[in-house]
Amino acid sequence: MERVESIMALEKVRNEIVQRIDHDKPVIRICMTGCRAYGAADVRSALSEEVIRKGLVDDVEIRETGCHGFCARAPVMAIDPLGLFYQQVDPEDAREIVSRTILDGQIVERLLYREEDKRGRLCVHPGDIPFYRKQHRRVLANCGRIDPTNIAHYIANDGYKALARVLAAMDPEEVIDQMERSGLRGRGGAGFPTGKKWRFARSAAGHPKYVVCNADEGDPGAFMDRAVLEGDPHRVLEGMLIAAYAIGASKGYIYVRAEYPIAVENLKIAVRDASAMGLLGENILGTGLSFDVKIKEGAGAFVCGEETALIASIEGRRGMPRPRPPFPAQAGLDGKPTNINNVETLANVPGILLEGPEKFASVGTKESKGTKVFSLAGKVRNTGLVEVPIGTSIREMIFDIGGGIPKGRKFKAVQMGGPSGGCVSERYLDLPIDYGSLQEIGAIMGSGGMVVMDENTCMVEIARYFLSFTQSESCGKCTPCRLGTKQMLSILTRITRGQGRPGDVEALRRIGNTVKDASLCGLGQTCPKPVLSTLEHFAHEYEAHIRDKRCPAAVCDALMISPCQHTCPVGINIPGYVAAVADGDYNRAVEIIRERNPFPAICGRICHHPCEVKCRRGELDDPVAIRALKRFAADHYFNNRHEPPEPFARTKSQKVAIVGAGPTGLTCAFYLARMGYGTTVFEALPVGGGMLSVGVPAFRLPLEVIENEIEYIRQCGVEIRYNSPVNMNFTIEDLMEQGYEAVFIAAGTQKSQHIGIPGEVDGLTGLMYGLNFLRDVKQGRDVSIGARVAVIGGGNTAVDSARTALRLGAERVEVFYRRSREEMPVTDIEFDEAVAEGVQFHFLTTPTRILSERWKVSGLQCIRMRLGEADDSGRRRPIPIQGSEFSTEVDTVIPAVGQAPDLSFLPPDSKLERTRWEMLSVDPDNLATNLPGVFAGGDFVSGPGFVILAIAAGRRGAVAIDKYLSGDASRVELYDMKAPAPSGGGKVADLQEEFGEKPRVAMPVRPPAKRVRSFEEIEIGFSEQQAREEAKRCLRCDLEK
Amino acid sequence: MATNEAVQQEVDLDELEPILEAFKGERWGLIPLLQRVQEKYGYIPPDAIEPIARSLRLFPSEVQGVVTFYSQFYTTPRGKNIIRVCRGTACHVRGSGSVLKIVKQNLGIEPGETTPDLNFTLETVACLGACFLAPTMMVNREYYGKLAPPRVMSVLKQYAPSKKEEGNGEG
Repeated sequence: MERVESIMALEKVRNEIVQRIDHDKPVIRICMTGCRAYGAADVRSALSEEVIRKGLVDDVEIRETGCHGFCARAPVMAIDPLGLFYQQVDPEDAREIVSRTILDGQIVERLLYREEDKRGRLCVHPGDIPFYRKQHRRVLANCGRIDPTNIAHYIANDGYKALARVLAAMDPEEVIDQMERSGLRGRGGAGFPTGKKWRFARSAAGHPKYVVCNADEGDPGAFMDRAVLEGDPHRVLEGMLIAAYAIGASKGYIYVRAEYPIAVENLKIAVRDASAMGLLGENILGTGLSFDVKIKEGAGAFVCGEETALIASIEGRRGMPRPRPPFPAQAGLDGKPTNINNVETLANVPGILLEGPEKFASVGTKESKGTKVFSLAGKVRNTGLVEVPIGTSIREMIFDIGGGIPKGRKFKAVQMGGPSGGCVSERYLDLPIDYGSLQEIGAIMGSGGMVVMDENTCMVEIARYFLSFTQSESCGKCTPCRLGTKQMLSILTRITRGQGRPGDVEALRRIGNTVKDASLCGLGQTCPKPVLSTLEHFAHEYEAHIRDKRCPAAVCDALMISPCQHTCPVGINIPGYVAAVADGDYNRAVEIIRERNPFPAICGRICHHPCEVKCRRGELDDPVAIRALKRFAADHYFNNRHEPPEPFARTKSQKVAIVGAGPTGLTCAFYLARMGYGTTVFEALPVGGGMLSVGVPAFRLPLEVIENEIEYIRQCGVEIRYNSPVNMNFTIEDLMEQGYEAVFIAAGTQKSQHIGIPGEVDGLTGLMYGLNFLRDVKQGRDVSIGARVAVIGGGNTAVDSARTALRLGAERVEVFYRRSREEMPVTDIEFDEAVAEGVQFHFLTTPTRILSERWKVSGLQCIRMRLGEADDSGRRRPIPIQGSEFSTEVDTVIPAVGQAPDLSFLPPDSKLERTRWEMLSVDPDNLATNLPGVFAGGDFVSGPGFVILAIAAGRRGAVAIDKYLSGDASRVELYDMKAPAPSGGGKVADLQEEFGEKPRVAMPVRPPAKRVRSFEEIEIGFSEQQAREEAKRCLRCDLEK
Repeated sequence: MATNEAVQQEVDLDELEPILEAFKGERWGLIPLLQRVQEKYGYIPPDAIEPIARSLRLFPSEVQGVVTFYSQFYTTPRGKNIIRVCRGTACHVRGSGSVLKIVKQNLGIEPGETTPDLNFTLETVACLGACFLAPTMMVNREYYGKLAPPRVMSVLKQYAPSKKEEGNGEG
């Protein structure tokens, strides 16, 4: 490498390099930084071998580049001049890449990125991929394009051109002016204007002056500096050189984390080559500028990211901050004026001086100009490096660029700014990301780390996690930080262990504020933020831990036996029965389920299985198919039983009346009978099962299954009286007079709600309400349906009505829902099945009028909606789009927008207290009404919900009534229980071999074409072998204690 | 389980001389010097503190203070292979706790400890900056990402010492 003696000579060198570039020669640009953690090196050697084998060494360039950004798809590569982007490349793909793409110019489709929506469009070029579409890559322009260890590549891409221009035509004051005009603010976190900082250092007296690059990127969750140093180190050096010229510095340091070996290596190469070319050292480009750069590797101390601590560390001392002023600009290294900038700040400098401050400031917000690189990580699909204009909203970052949350889970929070930052909740998703707006809600933009958290993240545990980090990194100088972090950590640890006490929250807040106000450096001043921000936005999670000893996210191990059991609303010992299935002991599996839930066959079919969402196996690949296993065990039981069960022994004299034979009422009766009470269920209809029998279509839940379960409950000793309505002629008071000492009302929600739009007139032909429609069909009544059906609503009743209409022969069934798919409370399986059968969904559409001719429905008038900003619940509010009205021809309209309890059976003078919404008012803990001995629960009290919640209410009612009848006034507390270890097998060690690569067994179903005109059950259920294989996938979290 | 006392061993301080010589008179040289010493011995032998202090004209307490302040300086011998399991935020929410558990179970040591055969030292680290492939760990200078249990096992096997020790707990 020859020394370049002048600015002219540099341009000559550049021209020579550029002219040598053969634009037709294929280049494979493979990421050899981040992707190395996922096999990029193997891919790279496989490619080289293949190229040698084909004799193409001189015809193809394999270029090892820095990060392309789309790290989720590692290993990634781009191929020029075709401009292709390949992802998740395997060494085995090398042969095809060389022979098909390089030699024949063809695309290997399976290596392209496929959009993750329903259409699954293939993306050939990076620009087609949603991840890149909203990005604006300036700092990262070269990352993934050039070989960072080849200075010629940097020079060919206008490298050191800004330096040349500055040295040739600008004096230092002009440089600082331009920096100030650009509005660049420090990217390390605090956001101090860079130009101003330079001016301070320039005007400070002292010699020599220093320029320091702070590459001690220590925030967990941040990796943008790493990527820049690894992928484009000369850009940082050029930034330092310009800074040195502007402030008159002659010495430079790069303080880089030792945890980044590739960055250190690439930086060393860059410094060596730049020195060899005379771009560093004495008399740079013959202009008289002299500047030396040394690389200092950190030794592992987070606090060294603080500038005064960093100085101490460079000087070889313990990295402890000192008070400012004097600021480093006046007295830094060796007491001399020192300018410290972050990596990304320096990487922005060449662009500003090359293209002008106006160009730089053309994007961003009023207060914060330019772009910012964010590292997107955690529970988000497209993890990676993202560069966007400042002011992009958090929602765009996470959902448009990041692709949303994987595995269909819900977003909970995003942690911004690492241990100095805070957690941002769903309601702030539309906030633009800039320095000021985040500050206001207790977070910071920080260095740009964004860690996304889903519903399976416990916010208390996250606060504890950050505190344990800052507590161990606190340098110990300031007492509030040293002791405060320790105390906060011990309180948080206690809370996550289920030993939280009243007053803990207040203590955390008090200590947090003291640490914030009374510490010297940034670490102390900001480290309480993760605690304070979670206290602010997720207070209910703290409350659940402290008061109820529950972890809603099922993370805190000390509070539970296993995440699935903890999440199950009735607390079934899931690992226990899954193990029983694995052992082939299906009757035992059913026994374990019935400890908590008398409806294994029903829940095995229609439960929305929140347990599977929390399954730890699901973090690694797919959750265990818990629901399907329950169904298998239950079906096996009912298909093979011989003797009816022994009735429960009646050990108590009292008897209890239950109103309603739905899941809530029957569950309550079942457990009361098990406790030894006499129980009678009064049911108005001639059948039991409530909503299950009337509202859930047979293709999801056959009547026979319901009958079997009810028969079992009856055989256990529960008396069920059908056709026995409780009403004005036979009241609650009458029941009490008949000797029932307690009454549990579980009358469900039977009344369909009206939509309340013009044209919705009772008695119109072709207008029927979802629930009535489903009931009539399931009970075998004659229902005539038209050819074109419109269903209104987005819940289970709506989807079930639509699918039922198809089965009755409707030609076209459309569902109109005012929100989007995300807000629909139906499972993915149900939704996908409906779509496969041909149901059409119109999201963000609200009906405004039902059109009719001669008392017959003739059409539906609708308006389109758009989603506005999030409301307090975090759901985005639908707003009508003016002028988007349209009408569609239909002959049947089925509104299914919800049901309400029908309180008309209560006499007008009933003393039962009601809420404003015509619901019964009950104590949520013990389900007691205002009348002694009268309890109520289930849908009747809380509105239509999932069946497992109805069962949970029945069980709670049984426990509460037992307490009431035995004179116990304490709170109802339902704990998870661990059953005695099942016979044989089940040790973690035994199972470890098996948690190999076995995928989740898919539920066999009848194909759409066969099922769409039939009410036969869609799901077929597992075979015995499938069930046992699937059950063995369980990681047995319950055995880890 | 390994204790650190069990793996103390004699060190040859003669090899210290060239390193001390290289940093003679170097300003601010303590940390890079310690890094070199650690590269040589695998840790900072306590007996090396005094000669280091003398050569840089510092108090031994100053040297000791720096050694104990920074998490990457060790005062006990370490294994041939250093496993660093990332406990950063992104890895944390994506299950690095389970990864650490598997490594601990397999090596039979806690973080900060070394296996009796001096083959592995297990550490946790605040963040490896490879959050995009969480959960991650590093063995020596190699990164390993998207660690599901089978992958953890295969990485450990890759660095396992010799054939005769196989068969205990690996399947």
